[in-house]
Amino acid sequence: MIDFSTVVVSGLGTVSAAGCGREPAAAALRDSRTLWTEVDRSGGYHRRRGSRLAALTAGLDFSPWLAPAAARRMSQPSRLAVTAAKMSLEDADLELDGDEDPPTAVVVSNAHGPTSILEKILAQSFSQGPLAVSPALFTESVANAPAAQVAISCRARGPNLTVIQRDAGALIAITQAAAEIAAGRVSRALVIAVDELTPLLHAVLDRFNGLATAGEDGEETARPFDRRRTGAIAAEGATALVLEPEDAVRERGGRVLARLRSGTSVFDPGAPRSGWSRDPETLAESSRRFLTQTGLAPEDFDAVVSGTAGTFGGDRLEAKVLRALWGDRELPPVLVPKAVLGDHGGALLTGAVLAIEGVELGPTPGFAEIDPDLGVVPHDGRRLESPSRLLATAVAAGGAAAWLVIERGDGR
Amino acid sequence: MFRSPQAAGERIVVTGLGAVSTWGWDADSLWSGLLGEHTGIAVSRRFDTQGHRTEVVGETPDPPAEVVTELDRWPHYSQADRFAVVAAVEACRQAGLVASPLAATPPLGPDFGVFLGGSTGGMAEGEEYFQQIVGSDPRAARLALLASHQLNIPGDEVARLLGVSGPVRSFSSACASGALAIGAALDALRRGEIEAAIAGGSDSLCQLTYAGFNSLRAVDSRPCRPFRRERAGLSLGEGAGILVLETATRAQTRGVRSLAELLGSGASCDAHHMTAPHPRGAGAALAVERALADAEVEPESVDFVNAHGTGTPHNDSAEWQAMQTVFGTEAASLPVTSTKGSVGHLLGSSGAIEAVATVQCLDAGEVHPTPGEGDLDEACGVDLVRRESRPLPPANESGAALAVSTSFGFGGANAALVLAGCFAADGDSGS
Repeated sequence: MIDFSTVVVSGLGTVSAAGCGREPAAAALRDSRTLWTEVDRSGGYHRRRGSRLAALTAGLDFSPWLAPAAARRMSQPSRLAVTAAKMSLEDADLELDGDEDPPTAVVVSNAHGPTSILEKILAQSFSQGPLAVSPALFTESVANAPAAQVAISCRARGPNLTVIQRDAGALIAITQAAAEIAAGRVSRALVIAVDELTPLLHAVLDRFNGLATAGEDGEETARPFDRRRTGAIAAEGATALVLEPEDAVRERGGRVLARLRSGTSVFDPGAPRSGWSRDPETLAESSRRFLTQTGLAPEDFDAVVSGTAGTFGGDRLEAKVLRALWGDRELPPVLVPKAVLGDHGGALLTGAVLAIEGVELGPTPGFAEIDPDLGVVPHDGRRLESPSRLLATAVAAGGAAAWLVIERGDGR
Repeated sequence: MFRSPQAAGERIVVTGLGAVSTWGWDADSLWSGLLGEHTGIAVSRRFDTQGHRTEVVGETPDPPAEVVTELDRWPHYSQADRFAVVAAVEACRQAGLVASPLAATPPLGPDFGVFLGGSTGGMAEGEEYFQQIVGSDPRAARLALLASHQLNIPGDEVARLLGVSGPVRSFSSACASGALAIGAALDALRRGEIEAAIAGGSDSLCQLTYAGFNSLRAVDSRPCRPFRRERAGLSLGEGAGILVLETATRAQTRGVRSLAELLGSGASCDAHHMTAPHPRGAGAALAVERALADAEVEPESVDFVNAHGTGTPHNDSAEWQAMQTVFGTEAASLPVTSTKGSVGHLLGSSGAIEAVATVQCLDAGEVHPTPGEGDLDEACGVDLVRRESRPLPPANESGAALAVSTSFGFGGANAALVLAGCFAADGDSGS
């Protein structure tokens, strides 16, 4: 467990299928409006009866935050990350000059890297031979390209980290960044969760049986904790948070969106490489230990913001761990932002920050029928009386898991 | 020379090393190779090199049979997974954490964490899948090839094999990844999040990086020549480097020998250019200064530098500028070595294998030489250790040798580690 109770969120920037900025995302979450669109299947590598839908960012205008000339030299994840980062600094009313001491850290999480660039390079290499590989593309093919582009664009000269830990990466990135601030080594951090979705990646995720397909009623959608769930709706987007010590925010007259109290990440070595463990005990024990170390009890939380997305095994493990943690007590509302924004790392962060800010989230779309094996009913849209403390959770395929305690800031 | 402060917080020591490189599948092979005057970089057996700028790389040899048979999941691992797992088992075995046979080892549990860096992971296998899925029959593409594609998989596999249920964190910040992962492990140990860590990096060669670095014209046609006048680029390599880190108290209680002490880490970003280092090495200097400050040691205490030393004209020049910034006039007389002249550039795991090599230098009391043809570049005034190793001041009551290991990556990600030798009477059990 890492205690970073002096660290707060002072800025939020987000790009999702809902649009650019907090308002489109908040509206979609409030209205329970899913954002699924058809994926381009013309490449021929999709399964015939596989997933068809995703939450995509095509057509969004990044130019208020990212000049088109600069955007042309970036991969899509870099564009998403830089746009969200600039937006978050604007939201925090901050401009970096590159000479801050201590400096500003950049911590980025993503799951799959810059897939469109990788695909282009590999296509060049295999169709025209390795000599045809473009050096311009190669420079953007590294997983840390978004973090580097954010540092260059925002003049952030502190530690520059890219964390890769599947769905747990976004919370781990926050934990890493908050720990740097709490240790006094950096004055602030830009934490960004960014994911890109290409048709090929969509097809591959579907081939791993991770994505929703047309269910019993013929509708393809995410159904978190529902008996009929078939998988997640894959998504792309980016969410950036500005983290700072609370006294620094107060000193410059800034606004505290949320307080970060503590976080942790753990691993279940019994989990299969590409799936979720059927036995929740390792993670349940870890989560109990985390709460004990934090000095909190389950009833101290007004809501859970779950990183689950409607996958069969992921929802099952998440539900079992929550049930084990809460025991006989009634679960608080379980918010599932990925049911609206789709399955990408930024969706969890956006949902968590907006929820603690007091944005009312609507009922969980896609949920209609309780799964008796899980016993969890996700948020039904009832009014949450300005939550003061949330538990954000991420249980990733492959064994990694992370939890973060988020507390109310100044409110809206 | 450095004397560990007795009153400082909990010290973090290295109790196990593991390595896979062009010299072989263990740390002893690495050390023997590093001490020799020859390079391990040779003509590739794996890639079609025709038309490329270079045909030489630092490929690993075939693994020994006993390594393969010990690991049940060997056929399911990517090459990067194999490097990571083999090096982790070796390091844990030296640290007295792993039994023989491996299956008899109890899970390491929640007090352990895994912190691994990498930049390609299972890309080599992913390339094969890509070729299949865009081919004439996408349905025939073998999904198993992609099971290790994500960069977190080598670390996950280490944790899965050894039963680690504490934090598992994977970092991918290009060539700084391994050193950043070790720095993250140090922080986690210091704040008491865990009691011991398996930290380092693993990367395998793949078509993408081979063709990509060739397209950038960043590779030398000959084995790389760090800090030489005629240097013309890097040589790619592959492998893994793993350290077992734990608190000195824990090591002492367990009665295991401390090989070195990890005193500090520092990181920075050039925020300057995607591929070119800052011409004056400003970001690199910042990372080293932050590492020295974190370690609470003065620059003049440093006995040698294991440089990033890629052999590219820009890197070596910028690195020399950075050394002058940090060490001032002392920079010219500070022994410098580069592991890359021997094993090539291991990209995401370069910082890790260089940390392993640095510990080996401190433990053996000598700095390994840097292979490479030609005369030194007088514009880079480094005191490069060449041809034969150079002795370090012996560890005794007055202190132990102190080293800095540097790693600088694409996107301006910089990292530095500060390590010191251990004296047997210096609070550890010795041997």
